[in-house]
Amino acid sequence: MISAAMDDILTGLRMRRVWIAIASEDIGDQHRRTALGPLWLLLNYLIYVGAFVLIFGLHSPVHNFPAYVSVGMLVWLFLQEVVILGVTLFSREENFIQGTTLPLSVYVLKLTMQSLIRTGYAALGCLAILLLTGTMPTLSWLWSLLGIIQIVLTIPAAIIVFAIAGAFFPDLQFIVSNLMRVGMFLTPIFWVYGGSGGFRDRLYQWNPFTHFIEIVRLPITEGQVPVHSFAICFFIAAALWIMGILLLGKFRKQIVFVL
Amino acid sequence: MISIRAENLGLTYRLRQKLTLAPRDTRMPTGGHIEGVGRARFVTALDDVSFSLEAGDRLGLVGTNGAGKTTLLKVLYGIYEPTKGSTAIHGRVDALFNINLGFRREATGRRNIVLRGLINGWSNADIEKRMDEIIEFSELGDFIDVPFKAYSQGMAARLAFSVATSLEPEILLMDEWIGAGDPSFQDKAKKRMNDLAEKAGIIVLASHNHGLLKRTCNKILELDKGRVKAFQTAEEWFGAKAEKAPS
Repeated sequence: MISAAMDDILTGLRMRRVWIAIASEDIGDQHRRTALGPLWLLLNYLIYVGAFVLIFGLHSPVHNFPAYVSVGMLVWLFLQEVVILGVTLFSREENFIQGTTLPLSVYVLKLTMQSLIRTGYAALGCLAILLLTGTMPTLSWLWSLLGIIQIVLTIPAAIIVFAIAGAFFPDLQFIVSNLMRVGMFLTPIFWVYGGSGGFRDRLYQWNPFTHFIEIVRLPITEGQVPVHSFAICFFIAAALWIMGILLLGKFRKQIVFVL
Repeated sequence: MISIRAENLGLTYRLRQKLTLAPRDTRMPTGGHIEGVGRARFVTALDDVSFSLEAGDRLGLVGTNGAGKTTLLKVLYGIYEPTKGSTAIHGRVDALFNINLGFRREATGRRNIVLRGLINGWSNADIEKRMDEIIEFSELGDFIDVPFKAYSQGMAARLAFSVATSLEPEILLMDEWIGAGDPSFQDKAKKRMNDLAEKAGIIVLASHNHGLLKRTCNKILELDKGRVKAFQTAEEWFGAKAEKAPS
């Protein structure tokens, strides 16, 4: 079972030309016949972050609120997109799953790749905001890079888990998209945990998304290394990979029947 | 040596009754019969199917709608995993199912050829080399740079057939493709299939078109509700059929 799952993943990794081609095809489809094309991704992000900075920026205790929001929002939007699209991944790819013998991991890697490219456009905006607000690159940004790598390595496992769950329980897509909408307010993206305990303290500590955001944001905005968050993210990643490999091994060949 | 061997193939799967408030999807799966009631219903799409084919064989799959023809093709291709029995397939397999499966509607014909090639594991050089030949065989001309969604069924069938046969698969599985495409293309396609079989490949063709099967196939496998009703040479099968229904 485990070897079947590993085989699926390794074959998928070897077929990188396929998922890179399909990922860029997907992004092209989304922006076909638009004048600005994928630049909309950058524009959307800037408008979104700009609105938050305008509304919450004045009264925030954070010394560089635009930098705080722009990094937090970048990571959040990436995670949100991957989770929401992950749940419906296999049903959206039904056409190919029914007609080809591609390993399922190809679709997982395609979604990872596609979301990374889309986030790349937003990342340009994020970088611009950081530089314009006077947050200059330092050596501690390398920790952020490590954080990003950790997130990227976690994402395929998360997609496998969500996609298989979503294939068997189609209702999950609505539950998840609702949770993620609420989740943005429960995650410290535009509010700050002041260290005073209480409800926000629990939200901060027990929300897994907090830690994935902190491993990228803290090194940039505060120059700190969030060792605690790195450790939590590592354990979440390990748990997701174990779960993903078990699920993939067990249900790999049944997905085609439930779509 | 190119061959296909299927032993006691069985495919049973659960018909999932999803917990949704939306109207039930009442589509029937591609074959077999349904057992059980309520939420635990099972479809037996294939039941104890055994046969073997050698190089040069051209097998016609016949049977009523829902007899299991497409399911059997998908098992041979590897999309479905049999729940019982086993298959042993030696040779490079390509398949042509429902024309729209495995093509991207928004992409041009040319781009679809590239994607199809990548999926089949061709190198960039292979794709480049085959491209002109595929376009020429499909006779799509300038339409090759038009999005796939604008193609007629016949044009889509031409493209699908040209791609699937261009790298000379050793085993070709086909499902009802021939309905589309005009007579002149059908002739071309038939010629290419004969070439393939003469090079000691195997063709498995599911169709209701008995005239086509008679011309193309040397063996017939008749399915009925997922079971083998007959596995004979084409001569015997058509002979028996003629006896039963003298005209």
